[in-house]
Amino acid sequence: MTAVAALALGACSSGGGGGTETGGGGEDDPIRIGVSLPLTGDFAEPGKGVERGYEAWAEQVNSNGGLLGRQVELVILDDASDAGRVVSDYEALIAQEEVDLLFGPFSTRLVVPASRVASEYGMLFVEPAAAAAEVFENGFENIFYAAPAIAPDHYNHLAEYILALPEDQRPQTMAVAAMDDPFAQGTAYGLRDKLAEGGVDVVVDEVYPPNATDMSAIAAQIVDADPDLVVGGTQYQDAVNLILALQQLNYQPRMAAFSTAPTNPEFLEAIGGAVDGILSPTGYSLAAEWPSNAEFIEVHNELHGIDPGEDEANGYTTGQVVQAAVEAVGCAEQGECQQELIDWLHENTVETVVGPLAWDEAGRPNGAHMILQYVGEEIQIVLPGDTAQAELVYPKPEW
Amino acid sequence: MVSGALLFQSLILGILLGGLYALLAAGLTLYFGIMRVVMLAHSAFIILSAYLAWRFATLTGLDPLLSLVVTVPLFFLIGFAIQRWLLSRLRPATMTMMSVLLTIAIALIIEGLLGMAFTGTQRRINLPYGSSSVNLFGAAIPVVQIVSFALAALSLAALYLLLKKTRFGRALRATIQHKEAAQLVGIDTAKVSGYGFGLGLATAAVGGAALSLQATIYPSLHWHWIGPLMAIIVVGGLGSIPGAALAALLLGIMRVMLEIPMGPTWAQTIFYLALFLTLMVRPQGFFGGRLAQRF
Amino acid sequence: MPSASSPVTLAPTTRSPAAGGGSPSRLRPVVTIAVVIAVLAFWPSIAPNPYMLSAGVVVLNYAVFATAWNIMGGFTGYISLGHAAFFGLGAYGTALLVIHTEIPPFLALALAAVATAVIAIPVGFAALRVRGASFVIVTIALVLVLQLVFQSARSVTGGSNGLVVPRPFPDLLRPEHHRLFFFLFLGLLALVLLAWLVIDYSRFGAGLKAVREDEDKAESLGVPTGRLKLVAFILSAFFVAVAGGMYGLWFGDLDPIFQFDVVLGSNIVLMALLGGVRYLFGPLVGAIVVGVALEYFVLNYGETQFHLVATGLLLAVVVLFLPDGVLTGVHQLLQRFRPQATSIRELSAEDLRAQQDERATADATTGADPATGKEGS
Repeated sequence: MTAVAALALGACSSGGGGGTETGGGGEDDPIRIGVSLPLTGDFAEPGKGVERGYEAWAEQVNSNGGLLGRQVELVILDDASDAGRVVSDYEALIAQEEVDLLFGPFSTRLVVPASRVASEYGMLFVEPAAAAAEVFENGFENIFYAAPAIAPDHYNHLAEYILALPEDQRPQTMAVAAMDDPFAQGTAYGLRDKLAEGGVDVVVDEVYPPNATDMSAIAAQIVDADPDLVVGGTQYQDAVNLILALQQLNYQPRMAAFSTAPTNPEFLEAIGGAVDGILSPTGYSLAAEWPSNAEFIEVHNELHGIDPGEDEANGYTTGQVVQAAVEAVGCAEQGECQQELIDWLHENTVETVVGPLAWDEAGRPNGAHMILQYVGEEIQIVLPGDTAQAELVYPKPEW
Repeated sequence: MVSGALLFQSLILGILLGGLYALLAAGLTLYFGIMRVVMLAHSAFIILSAYLAWRFATLTGLDPLLSLVVTVPLFFLIGFAIQRWLLSRLRPATMTMMSVLLTIAIALIIEGLLGMAFTGTQRRINLPYGSSSVNLFGAAIPVVQIVSFALAALSLAALYLLLKKTRFGRALRATIQHKEAAQLVGIDTAKVSGYGFGLGLATAAVGGAALSLQATIYPSLHWHWIGPLMAIIVVGGLGSIPGAALAALLLGIMRVMLEIPMGPTWAQTIFYLALFLTLMVRPQGFFGGRLAQRF
Repeated sequence: MPSASSPVTLAPTTRSPAAGGGSPSRLRPVVTIAVVIAVLAFWPSIAPNPYMLSAGVVVLNYAVFATAWNIMGGFTGYISLGHAAFFGLGAYGTALLVIHTEIPPFLALALAAVATAVIAIPVGFAALRVRGASFVIVTIALVLVLQLVFQSARSVTGGSNGLVVPRPFPDLLRPEHHRLFFFLFLGLLALVLLAWLVIDYSRFGAGLKAVREDEDKAESLGVPTGRLKLVAFILSAFFVAVAGGMYGLWFGDLDPIFQFDVVLGSNIVLMALLGGVRYLFGPLVGAIVVGVALEYFVLNYGETQFHLVATGLLLAVVVLFLPDGVLTGVHQLLQRFRPQATSIRELSAEDLRAQQDERATADATTGADPATGKEGS
């Protein structure tokens, strides 16, 4: 029995050399990268977005001669948005498939359990989508978030803008409605706390379950309090439902900000075009002039026939981060190599399609999100000032 | 703190929601009356109908309610088939327990097929009147909710008339009340039971279309409907349609009103609280008739 | 719940006391348990990698869960879809005790299981006051309401952020951790199997079986059916909570949506039913078959929701064609090859059963419902 234990241990510490699979050893074998994504279930849409980003990255690397001269191969499993599944997926990827590298899954709920598996096998874990603060509070040193900022900082530029307004023009009251989800709440509460400290009165503060479909009661409370600013800590469909419910009750805020949803290409049609003035934070812009962005958009369009969105960009960024570490350290396999990759990322900055990224000891990135606004039916960058394509319109036009 | 306007608004919204609950619970009550079956697939069929309405609307660009022309007869036939060819195969002695498992199996199959066909993404129909509302004494009432309430009310009224005024209705009620006696007076109870089941599932078709107007749908949504609906039929007295309708209205209003102080998640627990209290205090339900007392 | 089958065709284990009564035949199932556990204990040595080992832990967890469920479901015939609630309570209770107190993890697990059993008392009381239908409704409602409560009570349960359970053995490497928990679950399985066996032989068990075969008759014969059902419900909840607590310590991450899941409850029922609820090893057999199938489906058809369709179809097939489980079929097959074991009494019981089945189907197709008259009070 001890012999088998030693064998099992050996298999996961010697870079897959012990198994029947040929892992990191061969010169010409592809580098295999294990990913578990929610391709079905609650997070299926963003999960597929991230998958497109990963595929675009792999395509880009392989057509340029590969990584360390070897082709890369993605081994993708579906976790059906289930935390139990995501753990056994990564377990299977590391121990059974003996992949050389890992990419993270989508959503905070799935990243936390997955990062523990990766950590206990000593694997580098760069992830594209878990922005909530809690992800970085478990003491794992192998996790890195491949986007500009964690959730509570997404609205930072907007908070600064509002607090810089003259006292008499500032919104005096605000309503917050957030999905019971670590990411969605994180974004909204980041803004709420900064504004509350700056003297804005929080008149409605509601949380609804992730599966809520009927927003009319929450909307009725918001309308009744009639705040100047309404903030939605939202994913996608809940934002559409909430906005429609608010419009049904003829509510006209002076400023309205919703996380994630407004950047979705279907958003405009879903709420019947009445989007004018809606604000949203984003980590990625097609128009950004970071060195690798043009190449990314081109590869993505070639492969998938559409422009990439934020999820795709986060997936691609994850690839870029891992690629940079692998190329700098010169290895890609399980075992000691992983610690070298982790150490390298803690000390260096990586150029990505969302700008240069560096991380603190817990894996939090050091950037900030841009703020977008619908001007008519066009969505444009309005904050921060140096990258803005248009002026922020405040108070917002009626919707 | 809470303004009168908000209370009035919530009351109206609660009544509208309660109307939809009433229609959906009527179907469940009907199955229970006919066969002592807790039909766990009822809400899965509601979601299926909502998906069909959504698909119909996105494909044709027509109003989703037109899909009822197809779904109502289709669901009637499916209900008839489920009763005649699946449920009646079960051993009578273990009918209640085994029918639960059989219907949960149907619910899982429907959920899985919907997921395979349309993915887990949440869907909502874009309606030209999606964001319009009507003003009533200061309360804004969304048009979609009025339409869905009207649909529910009409269907319930039709169901009531069908059960009270027609020959088939009398036969069905006789079958529910005393199967052996009904057979003695020459009623083909097997066929009548099948029709009754079809009728129950037809309410799911109507309810699903009404639901698709005003809310988001996704494959696993049915779990969030089955709980409230079951609570309603227990509180109303198992087997009693007027009881279910009353309980539905009451619990619908309470749910929306409670969202003001408690928030949406806690407010939903009212259904389960009512369910447990009913079983503790008055297991036959509060509005139930003679039938309910037998279970 | 009365059943169409006669009591004489019960599991082989229940027949032996009547036949022999001596200790050798009573000991035989205990020996069988020891052999089965010993065979299962080989898995960690032959599992090719830590992933297969962890899959083994998952399947064992199902086996413990399904066997514990069977204390209620198998003996009384009351099918609970809500035992996931007790599983979740056990897991969350253990986690909260470990996080907030200095209590050692496995003592915390025991306390959480006791607390869950206490919670099961009023639940069982409400659920069992009325027959059949309401019981099912209450058990499902329990899962749904606990999901809401654990999502809402964010300050205590972590809400949708989930709860991270500190590891009981923080120094163990992951494969070693799986190995240790495999044996812990195996020990737990042995314990639950023994508990089922003890109940099976006891007067208490006989009373429960009387409820299953004909509750009205049992009641009129003076069996305190209400109390017996409640005790079985609480015992079952207790063991399920132990399994839940153990799972929490092993898995480490709890989330209301995944802990309080009706589909988990229905999968457990499928396992017990597939194996055969009247058999000691029925749920174990079902857990191995369904557990392995679930892993296979998700790994191979994970791209779609096919696994839901597959479990739904399997459940429908079992309910319609195999309501007594595969072990009944195997048992009958064995009987055919072993003529000396077949007494006249059993033959007649088989005949009786066939007749009853025939009559039942005939009744059902004509739409008659002989049970209604009997069940009504």
